[in-house]
This record gives sequence, C-alpha cells and structure tokens, in this order.
Amino acid sequence: MSAIAYLRRYWQLYALLVLPLTYFIIFKYGPMYGIQIAFKDFNFFQGIHRSEWIGFEAFREVFGMRDFYLTLRNTLMLNFLDLLVSFPAPLILAILLYELKAVWFKKLSQTILYIPHFISWVIIGGIVYQVFGTESGMVNNLLMSLGFEAVPFLTDKSDWLITYLLVGVWQSAGWGTIIYLAALTGINKELFEAAGIDGAGRLKRIWHITLPGLKPTIVVLLIINLGHMISIGFERPYVIGNLAVREYSDVLSTFVYRIGIESGQYTLATVVGLFQAVVGLIFVLGANYTSKKLTDESIL
Amino acid sequence: MKEQTANRVFDTVNFIILLVCTLICLAPFLHILAISLSSVRPIVSGEVSLFPVELNFEAYFKVFSDPSMIRSLGFTVLLTCLFTVLCMVMSIAMGYPLSKKKLKGRKVFMFIVVITMFFSGGIIPEYILVRNLNLLDSIWALVLPGLINPFYLIILISFFNNIPESLEESAEIDGSSHFRTLISIMLPLSLPVITTLSLFYAVGRWNGFSDTLMYINTPELYPLQLKLYQLIQNNMISELMQMEGAQMATVVPESLKAASVIFATVPILIVYPWLQRYFVSGVMLGAVKG
Amino acid sequence: MFRNMKRKRYTGTKRSLLLLVLICSLLFTACSSKNEPNAAEGANGGTSEKPVTLKIEVFDRGNSPAGYTITDNYWTKWIGENFGKPNNIDVKYVPVPRSEEVEKLNVLMASGSDVPDIVFTYDPNTFNRYAKQGGLTDLGPLLDEHGPNLKQFLGEDVLSYGQFEGTQYAIPAKRSNLGKYASFIRKDWLDKLSLPVPQTTDELYETLKAFKEKDPGELGGQVIPLGMTIASAQYEPLIWSFIKSVSEEERYTLTQQLGSNDYPILLPGFKDALQFMNKLYNEGLISKDFGLDKDKKKLGEDISNGKVGFFSEDDINIYYENGSYDLLQKNVKGAEIAAVDVYTNDEGKHAKPKYAPNGLYIMIPKSSERAVEAIKYLDWMASGDNLFTIQNGIEGENYTLVDDIPVAVENQTEEALNRMYNAGDMAIISNGKQLGSLEKNLKARALQMPKQFHEQVAVAQQIANADTIDPVLMDRPIEAQTKYATTLLDKFNEIIVKMTMAKPDQFESIYETMIKDYMASGGQAILDERTEVYKEMQSK
Repeated sequence: MSAIAYLRRYWQLYALLVLPLTYFIIFKYGPMYGIQIAFKDFNFFQGIHRSEWIGFEAFREVFGMRDFYLTLRNTLMLNFLDLLVSFPAPLILAILLYELKAVWFKKLSQTILYIPHFISWVIIGGIVYQVFGTESGMVNNLLMSLGFEAVPFLTDKSDWLITYLLVGVWQSAGWGTIIYLAALTGINKELFEAAGIDGAGRLKRIWHITLPGLKPTIVVLLIINLGHMISIGFERPYVIGNLAVREYSDVLSTFVYRIGIESGQYTLATVVGLFQAVVGLIFVLGANYTSKKLTDESIL
Repeated sequence: MKEQTANRVFDTVNFIILLVCTLICLAPFLHILAISLSSVRPIVSGEVSLFPVELNFEAYFKVFSDPSMIRSLGFTVLLTCLFTVLCMVMSIAMGYPLSKKKLKGRKVFMFIVVITMFFSGGIIPEYILVRNLNLLDSIWALVLPGLINPFYLIILISFFNNIPESLEESAEIDGSSHFRTLISIMLPLSLPVITTLSLFYAVGRWNGFSDTLMYINTPELYPLQLKLYQLIQNNMISELMQMEGAQMATVVPESLKAASVIFATVPILIVYPWLQRYFVSGVMLGAVKG
Repeated sequence: MFRNMKRKRYTGTKRSLLLLVLICSLLFTACSSKNEPNAAEGANGGTSEKPVTLKIEVFDRGNSPAGYTITDNYWTKWIGENFGKPNNIDVKYVPVPRSEEVEKLNVLMASGSDVPDIVFTYDPNTFNRYAKQGGLTDLGPLLDEHGPNLKQFLGEDVLSYGQFEGTQYAIPAKRSNLGKYASFIRKDWLDKLSLPVPQTTDELYETLKAFKEKDPGELGGQVIPLGMTIASAQYEPLIWSFIKSVSEEERYTLTQQLGSNDYPILLPGFKDALQFMNKLYNEGLISKDFGLDKDKKKLGEDISNGKVGFFSEDDINIYYENGSYDLLQKNVKGAEIAAVDVYTNDEGKHAKPKYAPNGLYIMIPKSSERAVEAIKYLDWMASGDNLFTIQNGIEGENYTLVDDIPVAVENQTEEALNRMYNAGDMAIISNGKQLGSLEKNLKARALQMPKQFHEQVAVAQQIANADTIDPVLMDRPIEAQTKYATTLLDKFNEIIVKMTMAKPDQFESIYETMIKDYMASGGQAILDERTEVYKEMQSK
C-alpha cells in the first residue's frame, strides 16, 4: 500500500490521536525536565535550572544509606506477597459473584463489597487498631474470652504481615472485581449452555470457560502489576505499619517521604523515584515480552 | 440427580462465602455511621462499635446547615462529571486507534504512554506547569493534568482488542468511516468497559485531593474530599497541637468527622449500583449474531 | 525480514522520542524562566493611592464555622479595617493546609512566584534550610527601622532564635509559657488503698504494682497502672528523669536536637530509662499497645474509662471540657485525678524538658517586594491592644476583665464563639495569650478551663514549670541535624518501642544493634558536628 493510500485510509485514526498525544506531551513530558533534579544539588530558591550539577553524587548517597536497602527489600517483599494474595482475590470474588444465583443478593453484595475502597486510610488505620489491637482489640477480646492467648497482630513482625495482607485484600478486592465483572459480560453464554448439556461440573466450567474468557484481562493486569513491583503506595504501609514492626513496614515510599519531602531534600527523593522508574520499566517490558511469548497477550 | 445436589452445595457455599465477605465489608461503614449518630461521651470513651450510643443527630444538622459543605458538594459533582466526560473522550480517542494492530507507529505511541506510567517530572515542575498555563485556582487545574490514566488506557485497548475484528471489517466494507465504526459499533459493544472506566475516573477524581492541596487557594473551590481530609487530619497532629499550646481550642468532634465522611461518601457510592445496568452480559454476542 | 524492519523503526522512533522530550523541556524552560514575578510593579509603589497587596500565609485547619472561610472571616475583616485601610495596604491571606504545611511551602518557594510575603513554620529545620539556601530576607535592618514595638514585644532572647549564623532571617513568635509536662495520678485509688502520693520513681513503681495487684478500680485485669504512648508528653518526663547530671560539655555535645526538641539518646542514663520501661512492660504495668498510640487517642479513651492509674501529659490537656478528666468523672463515680510530680533524677529533682522561648518561625522570602509592609504588619500586631484583641475577642461578648485578666464569658453567643475559631492562627507573633507576665499568662490559661478545674490546672502548671531542663542552644545551626532529623526521630521512637517490648534477656543485644544503626544513620554525624561547634564556642 502506498503511503498516500495508507494515509487516505487511516488519517482518521491519526486525527483521533492528535489531542491525546498533545496532552501527553504537555502534561506528562513537559514537566519531565524535573528529572534532572536527581543530578543537581537542588536549591529551592535557585530553581531547577540554576541549581548546581553534582553528577551521581546523590545516587552514591542514597545507595550508601542503610535504610534504602531495608526499604527496598520490604517493598519487594510486600508487593510479592500482595501478588500472591491480593492479586487473585478480586478474580476469585468476581467469579463467585458471577456464579451467584440470587440476583438481588448479587447486586447488593457487589455494592457493599466495594465500600472499603471509599474509606480513607486514616480512618481504616483507626479501625484496624480497634479490631486488631493486642490489649483491647475486638479480635483479641474474642480470642481471650474463648480461652486463647492474645495475638500481637500489629506488633509482631510476622503477624503484622498477615494483618497487612488481609487488610489490603479487604480494602481492594471488592473494588478489583469491577473490572473482571465487566470482562465477564463479554463471555459467550452459549458456551455455558453447551457445557451445561455436556454435564460439566460448575468448577470445571469455571476452569474451562470462565477463566479463559478472563485471560486477556488477567494478563494485562498482571503485567502492569509486575511493572509496579518496586513502587508501593504510601498510605497503606504507613497507616497499618508502626514502630514495633518498622523492620517490615518501612518501605520506599515512606523512606522517600522521610528523607525527601519532610527533610526538603528533593534531590534524594528524585533519585529514588528515578531508580524506581527505571527498574519498573525494565520489569514491565520483561513481563510484556514473556507474556507475549507464553500467552500471545501483551500490552505493547 | 447427583449433579443437581452438587450444584446446590456449590450455590449454598458460594452464598455463605459472599455473605460473610459482604458483612465484613459493611461493618466499618456501619461503625462510621454509628459514630456519626452518637454523642461525645460514648465516642471518646470508645463505647461505640456498630450501633449508635446515646443517639444524636447534631453532627448531621451541622453538616447540612453549613453552606460551604453544600456548595462544596455541588462543586465536586460538577468537577467529577466534567473530569469523567473529558477523560473518557480522550481515552477513547486514543484507545481506539491504538487498538488497531495495523496502525503504523502504534508501538511508538504505546511506548510514549507506558513511559509515563513510570517517569514523571515530580511535584515542582508540575506545579510550575500548571501555574504557567494559568490554571492555578481554577477547576481546570484539577481536570487537565489527569486526563488520561495510562493504566486505564491500556485496559481500554485490551477490551477493544477483544472485539471480533470481523465486526469492524464488515463495517469497513460497508464503507463506514473509522469515526462511524467507532461510534456505532465499537462503543455500544464496549459499554461495560466504558462504564467501568468512567466509574474509575469518577471515583478517582471524587476521592482525590492531593492535587487540590497544591493547586487551590480559594476556599470556594475546595472539593469535598479536601474539606474532609482537613477535618480528619485536624487532630491527627497531636504532637504539633501540643506545641501550638493554647491556640488549639478548636478540635473537631469525632461525630462531625464521621458525619462528614458519610456525607462525602454516599453520593459516589450510589453511582455504581446505578451503573450496573450497563453491565448486561451478552451485548457482544447479540451483535455478532445480528 | 519483517521483524528486522520493525526493529529499525523502533530505534529510529526512540531517537525521535528523545528529541521530542528535549524540545518539550526546552520549551518549558523558556516558559518558566519568562515567568518571573512582575518586578516592575512594586518598585516605586509605596505612596501611590492604589493600595499595595500584602500576602500572608495562614494555616487552614478545615474548621471554619458556617459563614466563614479561612480567607474571609471576622479577623481578616477586622485586620483589613484596622491595619489595611489606614496603611493603604490590601491584606490577602493564602491558606496552607496545616498538615501539609512544609510540603506546600516548599513547592511555593521552589516555584518562585505566588509566594506569600509572610510565611512561617514550626519546623526549625525548614527555617535553617531556607536560610542556608539564601531564600530569606535579612530582617535586622527592617526591624530596626519599622519594628520597634515588635522588637520590644519579643525581646532579645526570643529574637536570637530567629538568627542564622548571626543574621536575623526569621522573627520567632513568643511563647507565653514554657512549661510542658505534669504527671497525674488517680487520687481515689490511692485513698482506697490508703497509699501516700508517690514522691520518687521508686515509690511510683511500688504504687503501680499495688494498682495492678489490688485493682482498686475493680477492672478485672484491665487496669493500666501506667498509661503510656509513643508521643513525647508521655515518655519524655520518664526518660529525662533518668538522665544523669553531666558537665556542660557533655550537655552540649551529647544532646541531639531532632526537630524542635532535644533528645537524650547519647546522654548517660538513657539506657537505664529504657531498662525501667522494659521492666514495667514485662511486668504488665504499662499499656501493651503503647507503641501504636501516636495520637494519644487510646490513652484518652483509657483515662476516660478509668483504666489508667498514672500518666504524664501536657499540663492542661486533660482539663478541657469533654476532655479526659471531664469524661472520667461522667463515666466513673468518685474518680479523682491529682496533678503530681513524681519522676526523680539523681539530684533528687523532678527534671523535665521545657519549651524553647520561641514558637513559629516567621519569615519573609527574598523574592518578596513587600518586606517593609510585612514588618509593619507584624509591628502593628505587637503594638497597642491589637494582639490582645485578636487573642481575646470583644469585651462583654467574648470576655470580661477580672483583675486585669480576661475571663471568657459563659454562654457566649454562637456568633461570638465562631468569631474566635482562628484567633490563635491569626495572632502569629505569639504562642498563647500574652498579658505581660508569666504569672498572668498562666492565670489566664487556667481560667480558660471549666470552673471546677481551675485550682488543679494551677497546680499542674506549677509542676510543669518546676525543675525544668533548658533546651541547648548552639552558636550555629547543626547541618547534620537539619539533614537527618526526620530519619533519626523515627529511629529514636523505634528504639523506645522496641527496647520497651524486648524480652529482658535480649535487651542488651537489641540495644546495641539499634544504637549502632542510629549512629550510622546520622547520629554520629550530629555528634561530630556538635563537638566541633562546641570547641569553636569555647575558643571564642
């Protein structure tokens, strides 16, 4: 096809792209000159451009900090556990909802399940404390009244990990089902009917029809998730974490907040951000490549 | 017969699991509701769990009689609607071409998008940009910078990809332009994902406030969540309160905070049940048949 | 072949992408450098009939009552009327969210424009950083010329806290009262067990044990003999009482100032304090979850429910209406709390920290063209009745004068009450009510509390001001402190929590690792720099 014929046929598609691309250039790439802060001794009053270049000095400083490695390890650990636990949770929940017979309850529970997503972390933190506290938390009150010993859900490292994961699942699983439920609408119901006639059991049907139908969505979400293995939200570990379990709860985002924002050292914060970006990009490209080879699904 | 009992067991177990999950997710909401309806003494003494103690409507009376809360609600609704509509227009305009495998340069465009998932200029250049565009202290400062979320865009593209190509091709053979194919075939077919992403954008905007902390200096343009955040943070900084000493006689009561949470959350909560009607399965199937 | 072609395209576009980014960044560089604050406007202003605009930061705590906003309320109008009009100045307020104070200030400063003419922070590190990076106006000459009342109001001592390497870069607000902490005990429990009020730390320990074993509150195992949190009001009085008396040199070099407080981590006795806390914890004498209670919410609950036997707190905190004590009396019949001074150090004194005489650091950015007007504003506030009026409101409606001390009117109208919601944040030059003498200030502070507590508040305030330890003021700012304070403060609190909760046999080993980590994360750097500065101070 000649270039002119190609353009004649596809110009509308390019026309559609003009505004969104302009948006990306102005609002996303425009501020990216800020990345150079990582290589400068940033002075608030000199501004980004007039601050002095320092090369990789700030990188050396960050990589020389003990807390950097601790928080990096914790970030990877918490994200990996989340991938094992919190990633499949909404998928399972969505399938359960999909299989639910009672329509009224389906609608009701869908709506209620996603409420936790709307409660801010500060409030969740307070509630977690009331529920899981060692001394007078509801769960421990119950355990103790049943004759068990109190479990330090929040102050013991390993118990805390479980609390952290469960709270994460509770907060995000219902919300996460929405995307799967949307994807499920695309599954051909006739396949179900055919399977029904075949006498395939419910679990089998889920395995052979529902899950494959969700595969593209799962893969896309998984690739993006892998890309974010090294970045972590600030609020959840900050709010659920505490000083007794800081060895596990201190993560890159809290580290950056502490050394970068609170201490006004934007250079250090930018260095960590840049490090996270590069690693994240490598992860996502790797995941994308692998997925393309294995499943023929990819985002790029 | 055997299969039917197995079916029934599955349904019952399923029902019970979901019932338990639902109750666990409802509890904290009930807790906040209970606090918003209780009196000071039981709240501060930690006596309120799921039901109000010493029932008291004063907090709601205060919230609803505060004109700035009502105005803020109005502003937030306007902001959220404007934001969602623009986001969806932009996302679809970008997602549709990028879902065409044949489109030349598609990879480059995708790369441009993916890069922004990881790299950003940081808060200071972003602030300077918004200021230089003269957007500070206007609704646009809260709308424009977040128009396309790369993550949502990729989801949209993946859904577009899954629509059978035969449908588009038949349209193209009919001589339909790309614009028309998009509007009359792709959009109706992807109603569930469009609804979902609209919900994501709307909720994100409704709940987001960190940009408002930076970009808005006029109290008239405070969205609800910013007001809420300030209320909640009000006594979180106890260490500082102590330092500020006698200046702090103005602590916000817990019940007022809780009532504000309810006030700011319920409007967005009811959006999803309302949107669920668009989650009709089999839309795509019908179209393929026709 | 096809694949090859693809790859080529790919690298080609990558290059063009890079170019694109470059162009864009250049574009914005150009834009941002063009947008300097409009300098011409104010250069020859001053006496012209058009009023000049003075922008002043104001904390927004999100608690504006109906009808007011943080930028438009009773006091903004009052100031506009009484200061703005006569001086031909248009006073504008720029809200900064209280909890995001430093963050927003940083961005405003970095963006170069829209910076208010008067900014402030509680964080000495932020002040030091701004001063060091050269972003602040030298206020010395301006104060001499335009701020006689302000200078007189603050005094030399307070002003010295606003100096950075000898230059007056900030105007520190003046504190009306430097006392911090008192301790409190359930008097009715003591009476029930016919125990005396403990006078020393050892006696306190016995009392706490008695509280636990004899359970005078009949709580069935829920008693918390010593209420503890990880907020400084609870642990500081305990820890500082264990610090041994040291030479002046040790005091200067071994103290670590993190944020606005001094921390005794390297001073002799710190470990003993931790050991004592560890003992209390392992014997079940302090709250198990104290390490989670950052905002004292749980402590407040436990006090109000009558579970706590003894605790330390900011001197007047429990006495507020609907505060812990008020609620305790409602929840538990006959409950009585007495303010006491118990923790004793090796000299037999009830040593406890006190505040530095300064509060907020008020600064004028170098980019401001309204430095003169800004000083005039602060000077105006310090002169005549202005500060008094902002802090106390309107006579007859908000207060009446009794023995020269303003006493809040009972049953104020809603309007009068609402008027005062931001008074404290408007009166930036002072922390707490200023009536001319400490005695009067304290009296006024007590009189704010509910009537039944007046006498006890007086006792608590007296305790807070007794045997206090002065903060250590170095000749020049310690850079390592500015740099590491937030990290180290976190680690300091972690040390307290982990050492308290450690099993006794692991105490030594954990202590060693944690102190090592602390020193390696900046503690050593601070120690070295303080030692150096101390030497300089000696050689002078």
